[in-house]
Amino acid sequence: MDSIKIGYMLRSGITGFVAGCPVSQMSLPSLGALLSVPLADDYNIFGIIYDINIADDGLIKQLVTVDNISADVIRDNRERRIIPMEMSVVTVGWEKNGIVSHLLPPKPPLSLDIIQLCSDEDLIRFTDAGNFGYFRHILRNKDLPIGEIFAAHIQQARRAHMLNGNPAWWEKATRELITLLRDDYSTLMEVLSTLGDTETGE
Amino acid sequence: MSVSFQQVLNKIQSITSTIKEDQEKLNLRRQFAVKLWKKHADECDFLIRKVEAAKENDPLLRCAIPTDEHLDHFNLLPPVIASCTLIAADGSQVNPDRHSAILYSLVNIGLIVMKPGTGETSKIYTFSDLKHGEELYADSSLISADLVSLQRDLAERHKLLEVSNEYQGTILALTDGPLEVWGLRQGFSESYRRALETHIKVLDEMFKKEMVLAGVVDKPGANLVVRLLEIAEAQEDDLKNIKSYSLLRRVDDRWLFRTLPPGARSAVFGLQSSASTYYKGTHALHFFYLNTSADDHPNIVRVEIPAWVASDKEKLNMLHASLIEQCRIMGIKPYPYILHRAHEVAVVTYEDKVYVEQLLSHELLNAQVELGEISSKKSAKDLPGRSRP
Repeated sequence: MDSIKIGYMLRSGITGFVAGCPVSQMSLPSLGALLSVPLADDYNIFGIIYDINIADDGLIKQLVTVDNISADVIRDNRERRIIPMEMSVVTVGWEKNGIVSHLLPPKPPLSLDIIQLCSDEDLIRFTDAGNFGYFRHILRNKDLPIGEIFAAHIQQARRAHMLNGNPAWWEKATRELITLLRDDYSTLMEVLSTLGDTETGE
Repeated sequence: MSVSFQQVLNKIQSITSTIKEDQEKLNLRRQFAVKLWKKHADECDFLIRKVEAAKENDPLLRCAIPTDEHLDHFNLLPPVIASCTLIAADGSQVNPDRHSAILYSLVNIGLIVMKPGTGETSKIYTFSDLKHGEELYADSSLISADLVSLQRDLAERHKLLEVSNEYQGTILALTDGPLEVWGLRQGFSESYRRALETHIKVLDEMFKKEMVLAGVVDKPGANLVVRLLEIAEAQEDDLKNIKSYSLLRRVDDRWLFRTLPPGARSAVFGLQSSASTYYKGTHALHFFYLNTSADDHPNIVRVEIPAWVASDKEKLNMLHASLIEQCRIMGIKPYPYILHRAHEVAVVTYEDKVYVEQLLSHELLNAQVELGEISSKKSAKDLPGRSRP
């Protein structure tokens, strides 16, 4: 499956960026999803969604006071009004000429660069490269719901790897997380507990 | 602090000392207006004759003309309407500003099409018309803000017709404000006459398409029906001086029609105005008042319609029900949702204006055209104010 364009860059930095897309794209991106920003010269930046926000405005606040909002008004607001859904993304690596790096990129993407949802193929390629170095970009952000992000991301990547005949990826990823968090017991327990919930959910 | 608050306060105190007396005077006039409304409710022929007589003494007379419905007639909200396509248009403009570095004008028209009840996504259209150089001159002088407004009003109606050609079935077309094109009223200028003629041609096409056309005036300040009541009471001598004859000063129609039940419309009236010679026959302007509120706090709007809508009860009911349905979407501040959305689409924000100016200056510089300078006056006004430490 090819990557799907889901929106455009609103603002960015080396460690993360915020992408905007119409609210109608709501079914596409989800927490923990791997995104890519294709730039010139075969240069790609990768990021993982850690938050999704939908803003309101005066009209929305007025409309919600009504008992029944008709379907056409809902669609008009979601698809035609300039209220983008904002996705906050933590940068987790980059790629140049097909070589994936889990380091921070040398330069950030620019305003209005296209944001894509990675295909399973890209997801496998990125998560299989190196030795899970990209985990530390998420772990560094102590204010984020780390356990939830890992659970969502690992679940998505595990499914892609399973379909690709690599069920061992999940075990390796979990072991790496335990190693990285061995000195941070509370975070480790939170991550493992969330991963456990994911398992139960499946 | 540039306002002399002491002087303002003195004035406020003098206002409040007379406000009660003032209010009592107004209330007496309002009560009298209601009496006249009831007294003349079924005297349509008599009222039409009085308006004709008044017109002879004031060709610019602006008032209501009774139709076959009594003055105090009202229609409750009709039942749910058949499906139709709603199209709303609104416009905004940037007037040429001789104090700016670049002289240009911009008319931006926004349209939205909705098919209520179908769950279909609305469709949005925008049309932007930038004028520069020779285009900004009418005869020997720079076009005025009034003329740009007139161009905007005409463009709204043109685009409404143009977009309606893409849709089948019953089309209900709405604009914000009066149906009549306004502007340059003083002296009945050539530009205004041409604009009226163009508008009539657009109306011709809309009539052929049997479109349900309406202009919605929110919080109307006019006294068209009240003026009719004044004319009804005017004696022969008063009619000779009808321009200055004012029996019910400060009483407006909105107050008179506040008694309409929620969702109900008033009687339909004809509109007597200086433009009546242009808007005639099937295009003659009519209006009714509508209480768009869903509760006991009235919200009165005036809805202007052409004669071909006024004379067709089915169209009238469809318009009435659709407007109320649109207002209900907006909850406690009832205004047709689709008109608000057309405004959102049409509005040229300050950021849009700055961006247009950047694009224009960039292209002009590329073409090695010398840009003008911002006037010293504007420069001084644009200086940043003092900020708090």
